[in-house]
Amino acid sequence: MRKTLPFALVTGVGFFMLVQYFIPREEFEIVYEWSLDWIIVIGCFAMLLGLWSLTMASVHKVQRKTPGWGYSIITLAGLFFMLFVGLYPGQASLVRGSIFMLLFEYIYIPIQATMFSLLAFYIASAAYRAFRARTVLATILLLSAVIIMLRLIPLGPLSAINQWLANFILTVPNMAAKRAFWIGVGLGATATALKIMLGIERTYMGRD
Amino acid sequence: MKKIKSILFSFFLLLFLFNLSFPQESSDPRPPTEIKAFDTPNDNGHAITVIWKLSADDGKVKNNVVAYEILRSDSPEGEFEIRGMVPVGENLFEDKGAKEKKDKNYFPSHKNFYYKVRAKADKTFSESEVSKPAFAYGQWYHTGKTTVLAGVIVFSVFALAFINLAKKGKELYIRPLAGIEAVDEAIGRATEMGKPILYILGLGSAEMIATIASFTILSRVAKKTAEYQTPILVPCYDAVVMAVAQETVRAAYLEAGRPDFYKEENIFFVTSMQFAYVAGVNGIMLREKPATNFYLGKFYAESLILAETGSVAGSIQISGTDEIAQIPFFIAATDYTLIGEELYAASAYLGKEPVLLGTLKAQDWGKAVVIISLILGALAASFGFQFFLNLFRVQL
Amino acid sequence: MSTSIGVWIAAFLTLGIMSFLYKDNPIYKFCEAVFVGVSAGYWFVVEFFNVFLPKVYDNVGIAVNVLLVQGRVDWFHWSYLLGGILGVLMLLRLVPKIGWISRWPLAVVVGTTAGLWLINYLVSNAMRQIQSTIIPLYVAGDLNATIGSIILVVGTFCGLIYFFFSKEHKGAFGGAAKIGIWFIMITFGASFGYTVMSRMSLLIARMDFLVGTWLGLIR
Repeated sequence: MRKTLPFALVTGVGFFMLVQYFIPREEFEIVYEWSLDWIIVIGCFAMLLGLWSLTMASVHKVQRKTPGWGYSIITLAGLFFMLFVGLYPGQASLVRGSIFMLLFEYIYIPIQATMFSLLAFYIASAAYRAFRARTVLATILLLSAVIIMLRLIPLGPLSAINQWLANFILTVPNMAAKRAFWIGVGLGATATALKIMLGIERTYMGRD
Repeated sequence: MKKIKSILFSFFLLLFLFNLSFPQESSDPRPPTEIKAFDTPNDNGHAITVIWKLSADDGKVKNNVVAYEILRSDSPEGEFEIRGMVPVGENLFEDKGAKEKKDKNYFPSHKNFYYKVRAKADKTFSESEVSKPAFAYGQWYHTGKTTVLAGVIVFSVFALAFINLAKKGKELYIRPLAGIEAVDEAIGRATEMGKPILYILGLGSAEMIATIASFTILSRVAKKTAEYQTPILVPCYDAVVMAVAQETVRAAYLEAGRPDFYKEENIFFVTSMQFAYVAGVNGIMLREKPATNFYLGKFYAESLILAETGSVAGSIQISGTDEIAQIPFFIAATDYTLIGEELYAASAYLGKEPVLLGTLKAQDWGKAVVIISLILGALAASFGFQFFLNLFRVQL
Repeated sequence: MSTSIGVWIAAFLTLGIMSFLYKDNPIYKFCEAVFVGVSAGYWFVVEFFNVFLPKVYDNVGIAVNVLLVQGRVDWFHWSYLLGGILGVLMLLRLVPKIGWISRWPLAVVVGTTAGLWLINYLVSNAMRQIQSTIIPLYVAGDLNATIGSIILVVGTFCGLIYFFFSKEHKGAFGGAAKIGIWFIMITFGASFGYTVMSRMSLLIARMDFLVGTWLGLIR
C-alpha cells in the first residue's frame, strides 16, 4: 500500500489525463478542470512546508550561532512582519496604499528591479568570456549576437546590409535550429512523461 | 422670368407626383434555402452548427443581401430570438454557449432547437423555412485528434519495443556527452577540496518535465556524494520541489548505504519569488564556496546571474535546461552545458539502466521518423502534394 | 532630492544590491536577508488570498451552504474539498511516522501533469513544428524564398542529426551534425543579441530612479 498506491495513482491519473484529451465530453472537461485546480490547491498547502523549512533553517542558524546568524534574524523579521501586516484580520492587504503593499512597493520592487538590472553587467562579462574562448562555435555565437544587437543602430552605409543579415538570421537559420531543438525537446519530454506513467521513472517518489 | 419660374415649378411638381404614383420597385430579397441544423462535431455538447444555401440575391446589385441573421426557438411555432449574424457570402454559423447553468450564455445540451435564417437587405428581409429539430451532445472521440493518437501509439510502441530489447540484454550504444562525463570529475573535485556541491533544480514546479529530469540526475549525484561523504546543498524555489528533492536525496543515501549521513536541512526552501531566490542562492555560493555547481532544470532570466556568481566563486559548473533563451548564457558562463533534449537523456547516461536506454533509443527512432517525414514532405510539397502536411495537422 | 521616506529606503536598497558588483559586503547581505524574508511573506499572503480563499474556502462554503439550505449535494463545489484534503495530506511530511502519506498528493500532481505534458509536448513541440517545416523547397519565381526554404529544411535536418544519441558524430553523419551545431550556435547568438538591449534598458531604468526620482537631478 505504502509503495504501490502512489505509483498506481501516478499511472491511473496519468492515463486518465491522456485519454481525456481525446474525449470532448463535458464530464471529462470538468474533471480536467478540477485536476488543474487540485494541483494549484496542493501547491498552496505546500507553501506552509516551504515557510516551515525557511523558518527552521534560519532558527537553526541563530541557535548554532553559525557565521552570519544575524542576517537570519533579519530574514525572520522580514518574513513575520509581512505575514502579520498581510494577514491581520480586517485588513484589505492587497489594496494599493495598505502597509503590506507599501512594503512590497518600496522594498521588494526596488530590490527586484536592481537584481534584474545587474544582468546588464553580467551579460557584458559573459560576452567577454565567450569571446576569450576563441573556438569556432563561440565565434559563430558572438558574430550572430553582434549582427542582431546592431540591427537597430544606424551604421551609415552598413545599416542596410546589417539589417538584411539580421532579418535573414532571424527568419531562416534561427528558425531552423529552433525547430530542431523543439522537436528534440518534444520527443524527449514525451519519453520522460511516458516513463513516469509506466512507472519506469521513480526517483521523485523516494524510497522507504 | 415669371413664365420660366412657373414652367420649372410645374415640371418639378409633375416629377414629384409621378414618383408618388409610381414608387421605385423594391421587393424582399429571395430567402436562403436548404437550412440544416446539426450538432457541432468534436465538442463538449454545447453547440449546434447551422448551414444553408445562400440567398439567390446574395451578391446581386438589386435587393442585395447584406447579412444573414440566425434565429432560434424551442418550438417551430414559438418565438424566435436572434443568435448571431454572419456577413454576406457566408453560409455557416455555430450557435454555442457556456456549459454551466448559472452562466448567462448557458447552452443546454440534449434539448431540441429549431433554426431559421433571415437574409437581410438594406431595408427588407426574408426568412428561410424552419429547420428540422437539432440538439447538442458531446462526442466520445475527437476525430480531429486522430493524428495525435497515432503519434502517441507509434511512440509508445517504439519505447516498449526498445525497453524489451534492452531488458533482453542487447547492448544499446549511445554517443558520449561531455557534460555527463564531467559529472563524476566535478563530484570528485568537490570531495578533494572538502567543499560542498550546490545543486539547483531551477525555477520550475515539481511536475515540469525539466524538473523531473533534474530529480533523476540529483538522485545519481546524491548517491555519489553519499559514497564520498561530500555534502550536497539543494536550495529550492518551490515547496513541492523541496519535498520531492528531500525524498530523492534520502532514497539515494539509503541506496548508497549511508542513511545516517543524510541531513534534511541541506535541502531547504528559500523563497518562491524569482530574484529573491537568486539573491539567496548567490549568498550561499559566496559564503559556502561550493566546489561544484549544478544548474539543471527550468531557468529564466536569473540563469546568467547564478552562473556568473558561481564563476566568480571559482566553482566548476555544469548546466542544462530546455529553455532555449537561457542556453546561450549557460554556454558563455558555465563549463559544460546540456542542451535541451540532452538534459532529458542525462538520466539514461548516468544510470545506464536498460529501460532508460530503451526510451532514449525510442526518441532517436522518433527523430528518424521526423527526418524522413520532413524530407519526403518537403519534396512532396514542392510538387503540390499535401499528404505529409495533412498527416501532421492537428485540430484542436 | 526626494523627501519621501519610501524612495530613500528604495534608493538605499538599490545601492546595497549594486554594491554586490564590487564584492560581497554586509550591506548587500542585509539587503539580501530583507529581500528573502519579505518576498516569502508576500508570496504566502498573495497565495492565501488569491488561491486558498477563492478555490478552497469559498467553494467549500458554497457546498456547505447548499447542503444546509437546499438539502442537496453540490458535487461541483464539494470537489474542491478533495483538493484541500490532498493539500493537508501534503503537510503530513512534517510528521515523520506518517510522512509517507504525503506521496499520495505528490502522485496526483506528477501523474496529472505527466499525462498532460505527454500530449502538450508531442503536439506543440513535435507535430506542429514538423507541420511548419514541411514547406515547398521550390517557390516558382522567387529565388530568395527558394533559398530560404532549402536552408530552413537543411538546417532543421542537420539540427535533428546533431541531437541523435545513437550514433557517434563521425564521417558524413558527423559532418551533418557539425552543420547542425553551427545553426544552433547562430540561434543562440541571436537570442543573446536580442536580450542585450532589454537588459540595458533595465539598468537605464534603475539609473533613472536613482538620479531622477531620488536625487532629482534629471526630470
